[in-house]
Amino acid sequence: MVKKTLEIYSVELSGTKDIDQTDKGDGKEKYRGLKNCFEPKKNHQKEELKKELDLDDHKLSIKELEKKYGTNIITAYLGCVLALVVILTGIFAYYQEAKSTNIMATFNKMIPQQALVIRDSEKKTIPAEQLVVGDIVEIKGGDRIPADIRLLSVQGCKVDNSSLTGESEPQARSSEFTHDNALETKNIGFYSTTCLEGTATGMVINTGDRTIIGQIASLASGVGNEKTPIAIEIEHFVHIVGGVAISIGILFFIIAVSLKYHVLDSIIFLIGIIVANVPEGLLATVTVTLSLTAKRMAKKNCLVKNLEAVETLGSTSIICSDKTGTLTQNRMTVAHLWFDNQIFIADTSEDHSNQVFDQSSGTWASLSKIITLCNRAEFRPGQESVPIMKRVVVGDASETALLKFSEVILGDVMEIRKRNHKVAEIPFNSTNKFQLSIHKTDDPNDKRFLLVMKGAPERILEKCSTIMVNGQEQPLDKSTAEAFHTAYMELGGLGERVLGFCHLYLPADEFPESYSFDVDTMNFPTSNLCFVGLLSMIDPPRSTVPDAVTKCRSAGIKVIMVTGDHPITAKAIAKSVGIISANSETVEDIAKRLHIAVEQVNKRDAKAAVVTGTELKDMSPEQLDELLTNYSEIVFARTSPQQKLIIVEGCQRQNAVVAVTGDGVNDSPALKKADIGIAMGIAGSDAAKNAADMVLLDDNFASIVTGVEEGRLIFDNLKKTIAYTLTKNIAELCPFLIYIIVGLPLPIGTITILFIDLGTDIIPSIALAYEKAESDIMNRKPRHKKKDRLVNQQLAIYSYLHIGLMQAVGAFVVYFTVYAQEGFKPSILADLRVEWENGIVNDLEDSYGQQWTWYQRKYLEWTGYTAFFVGIMVQQIADVLIRKTRRNSIFQQGLFRNKVIWLGIASQIIIALILSYGLGSVTALNFTMLRPQYWFVAVPYAILIWVYDEVRKLFIRLYPGSWWDKNMYY
Amino acid sequence: MAALQEKKSCSQRMEEFQRYCWNPDTGQMLGRTLSRWVWISLYYVAFYVVMTAIFALCIYTLMCTIDPYTPDYQDQLKSPGVTLRPDVYGDKGLDISYNVSDNRTWVDLVHTLHTFLAGYSPESQQDNINCTSKEYFFQEKFTAPNHTKFSCKFTADMLQNCSGLVDPNFGFAEGRPCFVIKMNRIVKFLPSNSTAPRVDCAFLDQQKDAQPLQVEYFPPNGTFSLHYFPYYGSKAQPHYSNPLVAVKLLNVPRNMEVLIVCKILADHVTFDNPHDPYEGKVEFKLKIQQ
Repeated sequence: MVKKTLEIYSVELSGTKDIDQTDKGDGKEKYRGLKNCFEPKKNHQKEELKKELDLDDHKLSIKELEKKYGTNIITAYLGCVLALVVILTGIFAYYQEAKSTNIMATFNKMIPQQALVIRDSEKKTIPAEQLVVGDIVEIKGGDRIPADIRLLSVQGCKVDNSSLTGESEPQARSSEFTHDNALETKNIGFYSTTCLEGTATGMVINTGDRTIIGQIASLASGVGNEKTPIAIEIEHFVHIVGGVAISIGILFFIIAVSLKYHVLDSIIFLIGIIVANVPEGLLATVTVTLSLTAKRMAKKNCLVKNLEAVETLGSTSIICSDKTGTLTQNRMTVAHLWFDNQIFIADTSEDHSNQVFDQSSGTWASLSKIITLCNRAEFRPGQESVPIMKRVVVGDASETALLKFSEVILGDVMEIRKRNHKVAEIPFNSTNKFQLSIHKTDDPNDKRFLLVMKGAPERILEKCSTIMVNGQEQPLDKSTAEAFHTAYMELGGLGERVLGFCHLYLPADEFPESYSFDVDTMNFPTSNLCFVGLLSMIDPPRSTVPDAVTKCRSAGIKVIMVTGDHPITAKAIAKSVGIISANSETVEDIAKRLHIAVEQVNKRDAKAAVVTGTELKDMSPEQLDELLTNYSEIVFARTSPQQKLIIVEGCQRQNAVVAVTGDGVNDSPALKKADIGIAMGIAGSDAAKNAADMVLLDDNFASIVTGVEEGRLIFDNLKKTIAYTLTKNIAELCPFLIYIIVGLPLPIGTITILFIDLGTDIIPSIALAYEKAESDIMNRKPRHKKKDRLVNQQLAIYSYLHIGLMQAVGAFVVYFTVYAQEGFKPSILADLRVEWENGIVNDLEDSYGQQWTWYQRKYLEWTGYTAFFVGIMVQQIADVLIRKTRRNSIFQQGLFRNKVIWLGIASQIIIALILSYGLGSVTALNFTMLRPQYWFVAVPYAILIWVYDEVRKLFIRLYPGSWWDKNMYY
Repeated sequence: MAALQEKKSCSQRMEEFQRYCWNPDTGQMLGRTLSRWVWISLYYVAFYVVMTAIFALCIYTLMCTIDPYTPDYQDQLKSPGVTLRPDVYGDKGLDISYNVSDNRTWVDLVHTLHTFLAGYSPESQQDNINCTSKEYFFQEKFTAPNHTKFSCKFTADMLQNCSGLVDPNFGFAEGRPCFVIKMNRIVKFLPSNSTAPRVDCAFLDQQKDAQPLQVEYFPPNGTFSLHYFPYYGSKAQPHYSNPLVAVKLLNVPRNMEVLIVCKILADHVTFDNPHDPYEGKVEFKLKIQQ
C-alpha cells in the first residue's frame, strides 16, 4: 500500500524522487546493506526510467511485462477513481450554480412587445425597448404598460399592481397627484403592470433598469446568494474532519520521524493518514440524500430548486409571509352579509360550497335579486364543466365575487338576468359611487319595473327612506340607521370592502311598460329607495392557512406577515389566519379598550404589532431589532420591496433562519435575500419563482409545514448518515497507525479503503435518509443556528472513540485470525514490516518455520486486506442499524420499517461478495477469495456494537439531562 | 446570516480560546470542570480496559484454537520458493557481477557464501542425525529428545567442490563460480511422489547455436534427498536445516551479462506462477569480467 501511495503521490514528490535517483546513480554499493522497504519500488522506478531510454522491453518476458503494467494499472485506477469523484462533484456544483443564475432572463420576458407612441404628431407602434423618456404613449385595457409613465389623461383606467405592490384589487388611475409615495400615487403607471380597463395617455418618465420594476430586478440580482445553513454545517464538518486528519497525520509524522523512518516515508504516511481519514463518499451521499428529500417534497407540491434549501426550511425560525396569494386566495369573495339587522357569515372557503346563513327571509330574496341583476360581470362562455369558483369572469374583482356568490347560491345567473330583462343602466363611477340598473321583472303579472342599485353604503343609505326587514318595508328610523352604521363599521373594521344594496319597484302607472328610461337625464327616481342590505367582501385566507400557522407556532416558528396591502386588511387577515392570535392585542387595541392614548400604553402588554411602511421608514435598525424581539406577532403593512429586504435582514440579525414566501415581483429581492425564498407556483410571477429556492406548486402555505417537517427530518438523518460514515474512518485509520508504530504488515490498503468509502458504504448511508422521525419533530423548536450543529463534539467523539474503536478492534481480530491460521501468529507480526515488505527477502520465516517468498507474503497481505475489509463491512451493518435512531431503541423505531436500510445492507454484502469472490482473481484490486468462515469472525463485535448502543440509548432515555445524556447524545 | 459571517479579530479569538482553556467563572477548563474531566477519563479508561480485555480474550481464544505444529491453512504456500546464495540484488532481482582479476569485486560474494555455510558446519549440525535412506523420512511420533522429531544432517562438505573447504574461493577466482540453491521450507510438504527433487540450471534465453550452460551439481545430480522431507515445523524440528544444492557454472561467457535460471524439477513444485518469480525457480543475472 505504501508503495502504491508512493506512486500516487509521485507527482507531488517528484522533486524528492529525482534527488533519490541521483543518489542511486552514485553507486549500487549504497543500497546493498540498506534494508528499506521502498527499495524495490525505487529500483523499479529507476528501471522504468532506464527502459524508456534503452528500450529493452523486448527483452522482458510477457509475464514480466504484465507484472510491470499490472502495477501501473493499480496506480492509474486509484488515480482515476479519485479524479472521477472530484470531477463528478465539480459537475454537480456547476449544475447547481447554472440553475440559479437565470434570474435576469425572466425579467427580460416581461418586456412588452409593442407600444403605441405619439411621435411627430403621429401615432406609431414601436417596440417598447425603443421608448425614450419624454415619449407620449397611449395605453388601453389589456395592455402591458411599456415603461414607467406619468399619466396625463385618464378615462376609467384601472391597473393591476398586484405583482408590484401586492394589492389584489385593481387600482384606479387618474392624472392627479394623490400621494407622496410614488408607489401609491395614482398618476403613475408602472412598467410591466397591466392596464385592466379604460384608456390613458402618459409620458414616459423612466425606462429599462431605471423603472421601479427594473430597480427591483437589479435589487434582486444584487442580493448575493447567502450560504445555506446546511452548507455552513458541512463546512463545519469538513473543518472537524480536516482538523482530525491533519492533526493525526502530523502527530504520526512526528512519531514516524522519531522512530527513524525516512522523512520521505513519513510524508507518505502523513498523506496516507489524511486520505484514510477523508470520507470520500460523503459528499455524494449528502447530495443524493438531499435530492431524495427534494423528490419526496416535490410529490407534496414543494418544488425545491436549490438542493441545500431542503434542510434550510427545517431550520427556519421565522417565516416572513406575503399576504396576497400566499395566505389569501387572491380573489375577492363575499365574506359577510347584513340584512334583517343581522350579520351573516358567508362561506369563504375555496369552493364556497357550504353557505349556511338563513336564506328563508324575504329580505334575502330581494337582496339576492339585486346582487344578481345589478352586476355587469359575466362568465366567459364555454366553461360549463368548470367548477364555478374556477371559471374565468369578465369584470372587476368585486363584481366577479358577487357573480360567483350568486351563481353558487341561486344557480344560473345568466338565465335569471335573461328573464329580468335589463332596460337601463348606469355603470359605477367614482363620482356617483353607485351602480344602477332597471329591469323588467320575471313575474308576468307584475308589470312594474325594478330599479336596483349598489354602491358605497353611506351613499346608498342617503338615497333610502325605507328599509326592508324580514321581507317587509319599514320606515328608516334612527335606530335602524344606527344599526346600519354599527354593522358597517364592524365589517369595515374587518378589513372588508362593504357594499350597500337597495331597490325600488317603480309604480306601474308612472312608468308603463313602454316607458323610455334615459340614463343621462335620469328620468326616474334615485331617492326614497328601499334599503335591503349590506354585503362585504374580502380576499379571504386560504382554508388551510390557519392550521398551518398553528403548526408553525407549535414548531417554534414565528410567522410574520409582510404585505403591501392596507394595515386594516392586513390585520384582519392576520387575525383570521392566526398570525395575530385571538387573545393578543396591539398597542392600539389596548389603547382603544382602555380609552387611553396610544403613548400611555405599556408596550410590554402588547404581544402583537402592526407596523406600516411609513413607520418602518423612520425606524433605525436598532428599533427594528427591538420590535422584532419584543413582539411575537408582527404584521408589516404597506411595505415597499426595499423594506421587505430590510425586514428580512432585521430578522437575520436576530440569528434567525428566515424563510420568505411571496409571489409578486416586489417580493423577489426579499426572496433572494432570505435564507430560503419560497415562491408560489400558480400565482407567482416568474421573477419570484426565479429568485426563490423553493416553489409551492399548489400555492398552499400548508405545504411549507410539510417542507419544515422534511427539512428537520433530513437534518436528523444527515446526522445519522455522517455518524455512520465517520465511524469506519477510525477502523480505516487504526491499521495505518498500528502499521507505523508496531510494524505489522499493512492490514488494509488504500484501494480497499476506497471500496468501503465509495462501494459498500454508499447505499446504506443513503438509506438512512429514508428513516422516519424518532419523535414529533414538529413540536420542538427550530435548531439554533450556532448551537445545534450537524456534527457536534458528541457525534464525532462517539463515532470515533466508541463505535469506531470497537470496529477497529473487531477488524483486527479478523486480520489476526487470517494471519495466524496461515502461519503468522500475532507475536511474530510485530516489527515484521521492514522485512515483510522487502522484495529481496524471499525466505521469510513464519511462526512454524515455513519460508515465504515476497509474492506469497504479498498475496497473504491482500487476503489480510480482504479480511479487514470484510470485518469493517460486517460491523458497518451493525453501525447502520444502530444509526437508525439516536434516542429511541431500534425496536421502538421498528427494525423493518425502513426497508431501504435492508436494501442497503444487502447491497453491502453483495458488493463485498463480488469483490472477494468475483474479482478476487484480479490482482490489481488487492482482493482475494476469503474463506467463508472469516466473514463471521467480526459478527460478535457487530453484536457488541449493537448492544453497546442500545445501552447508551437506554441510559439517555432513562436519565435525560444527565451526564450520560450530555456526553453520549449526538 | 450576517452574524455568522462577522469576522472576529485575532485577539478576540485568542481571548475566546483562553476562556475555553480556563473559564474562571465556572471553573471549567477545556469545556469541563475538573471533576467532570475525572469522570469522563474514568469512563474512557474503563471502556478501553474492557475493549482491550475483549480483544485479548479473542486473541487468546484464537491462539488456543491454533495447532502449534501445523498451520491451519497452507493454501498460499502450495509450492516452495527458491533462493540463491550469494544474494546480491540489482535493479530487478538477483544481479551478480564481478571481475575475475580483481579480487576485491568478489571477496564479498565469497564471504557471503562462507557465512551462509557456517550454519552447515558439523558443529552446528551435531544435533541432527545422519540419514542415508532415499525415502521420505516420515515421523509420526515425537521420538527425539525434548518431545521433538529428528532432523537429518546436512553438512557443507556434501557440497564437495563448492563447500568452501576444497576451494575457499568457491571457484570465483577462476571464473567458474559456485552458487548455492536453497528451497524454502513448507510444513509437511512432499515435493514429489518418488524421485528426489532436482535442480536444473540453464541460460534463460538459450540461443540455438550458442553453447548450452555447463553445470556441475553438488551433491551429484543436484538432488535434494527425500529424507529431508517432510518438514514438521520449527517446534517439532528445531534444528532442521534446509538441504542445499550447489551449482558450479563452468562455461559462463566473459564480459557479457547472461541470464541464468535454476529450476527445481519435482512433481509438486511449480515454477510457472506469472506473479511470483521466486516460486520453484530462481533467476539471476551474471556478468563475469576478465
